[in-house]
Amino acid sequence: MAEYAAKKFAQMLVTILGVVTLVFFTLRLIPGDAASAMAGDTLSGEALERLREQMGLGEPLVNQYFGFLRDLLAIDLGETITTRIPIAELLLRALPITLSIALGTIVLSVAFSIPLGTLAAYMAHKGRRWLDNALTGTAMVIDLMPSFWTALVLLLIFSLALGWFPASGQLNWNDPWGVAMRLALPVIVLSLSQVATLARITRTAVLEVLNEDYVRTARSLGWSELRVLFRHALKNAALPIATVVGLSFGNLLGGTVIVEFIFTIPGVGNLLITGINSRDYQLVQTLIVLYALLFVVINFTTDLIYKALDPRVQF
Amino acid sequence: MADITLSPPAPARRPPFGGILGTLARSRFLAHPKVRLALVILVPILLLTALAPVLPIQKPLETNLRAMMQFPSPEHLFGTDKMGRDIFSRTLAGVQVSLVVGFSVAAIALVSGMVLGTLAGFYGGLVDRAIMTVVDIFLAFPSLLLAIGLVSVMGTGLVPVILAISLADVPRFIRLQRSQVLSLRSRAFIDAARTIDASQYWLMSRHIVPNTLAPMLVAASIAAANAILIEASLSFLGLGIMPPEPSLGNIVRDGQTYLEQAWWISTLPGVVILLIAIGLHFLSDGVRELLDPRSRQ
Repeated sequence: MAEYAAKKFAQMLVTILGVVTLVFFTLRLIPGDAASAMAGDTLSGEALERLREQMGLGEPLVNQYFGFLRDLLAIDLGETITTRIPIAELLLRALPITLSIALGTIVLSVAFSIPLGTLAAYMAHKGRRWLDNALTGTAMVIDLMPSFWTALVLLLIFSLALGWFPASGQLNWNDPWGVAMRLALPVIVLSLSQVATLARITRTAVLEVLNEDYVRTARSLGWSELRVLFRHALKNAALPIATVVGLSFGNLLGGTVIVEFIFTIPGVGNLLITGINSRDYQLVQTLIVLYALLFVVINFTTDLIYKALDPRVQF
Repeated sequence: MADITLSPPAPARRPPFGGILGTLARSRFLAHPKVRLALVILVPILLLTALAPVLPIQKPLETNLRAMMQFPSPEHLFGTDKMGRDIFSRTLAGVQVSLVVGFSVAAIALVSGMVLGTLAGFYGGLVDRAIMTVVDIFLAFPSLLLAIGLVSVMGTGLVPVILAISLADVPRFIRLQRSQVLSLRSRAFIDAARTIDASQYWLMSRHIVPNTLAPMLVAASIAAANAILIEASLSFLGLGIMPPEPSLGNIVRDGQTYLEQAWWISTLPGVVILLIAIGLHFLSDGVRELLDPRSRQ
């Protein structure tokens, strides 16, 4: 196990180095250079030269690259170029918000999708096809709804028409209930597509297990259907479900950008959009690296959990 | 010595068409329920989009200040926006953009995925290592975020959006193709072809690639649906197709400000995106079932 973890860890480090390198050099591919792209038509001559100096664009590319790596290792994220605010400070405020949305979504979607998926599998197993078809069909349609559209529809119904949730307003951590209400709709929007995916995977996994001999044995022992379903079937189907939860995290990160934008929530996603719109490449490159880092670390953890749960796994 | 007459082998009965298209044609493509459902959804949308220029509706960019923010009516099926533009006509123009993006991305991802994946899987060694290292790095980014990052560098507009989404998709295609090639490479018919001195090009083009086509086509149709959703998301965020040029995403974005007064601007074009996604989903499901004998029942 330790050997496996070490190998995976080394692989992860190589990937991270690759990610950082890719982001660095892609941003250097901007026609002209980052400074003139940022300045647009607003700066000229000397001012542009000073901006270039400030961004370190005068130095040889290799020096810039190693400087970037060194800063990242020292967790020195630098300042935003337009507003001169330390990026670490911005992240300290934005990251907890985005992570709350992501975690809330995972909790909510797991809580709903596993019973629903198990129910669908059970119905399919018992030959009650219509209920299974209804559940699977609904899941498919929900999964295909563009999240920005779902967000607007829910915003329209639950905030604007019914007034159940606030559509805007400050996020104040001293008022947990207020924060929860403010983040509720974004979490629900992201959970919808997440539930659809997870329920489908749960259905497939449980359905497969229900045909196993040990499930028949459990039944023949006279145990109740519920016990067979949850103790024997679901437990053995947990592995693929856990993996998909981990893998779907990437989609979830993309989704947070969209919901933060719609519900004007000051998370990392909104920071990214602001960075792109103000052409603050320092900020954009840091955030893209951060997203990739989060995703890679989650994938690494999923791999380890998988291995820990199922020692048969060989890679 | 006994007279052995060697009659020439009976000519192999060739199917009327070879390859995937033949299989699809013989499997009564149009009779498959999922394919039919897909066509029922997609054909009207395609027809309306193609006929949009000759339909008696306002042009997508034409404004009419005497008919602003109008509720859907026979004259303006999806209503009008702040500038009195016809949302239905704009939606059809947006669908055109979506379809171009969907098919371009699917085609680019399919072709480059097949070439690079085949090379990686067939040659192995250093080629494989080099290609897969890059693939792994690209796969470390969530795909929407990779597309966002790439358009932030390449700029907005149709071509950058297509390239950004394709680049985000290609790694998945390479990986799929490589894994298929790896499992084919050790099959007996490849060894048989090698024993008669088949060239590597012959092996790849005649024996390997045709056998990998079916899953790749299914992946491509899923990629088309995803590309349409990602383009809409990018345009919605203001990073894709820029107004006044309509795209399904930026029409929804335009309407967001007037959600309370004119809900139809944002919601109706979204329904069309959903319909296209559902249609493509059924199409890919149907094609997968027809091409994979194991799932055909």
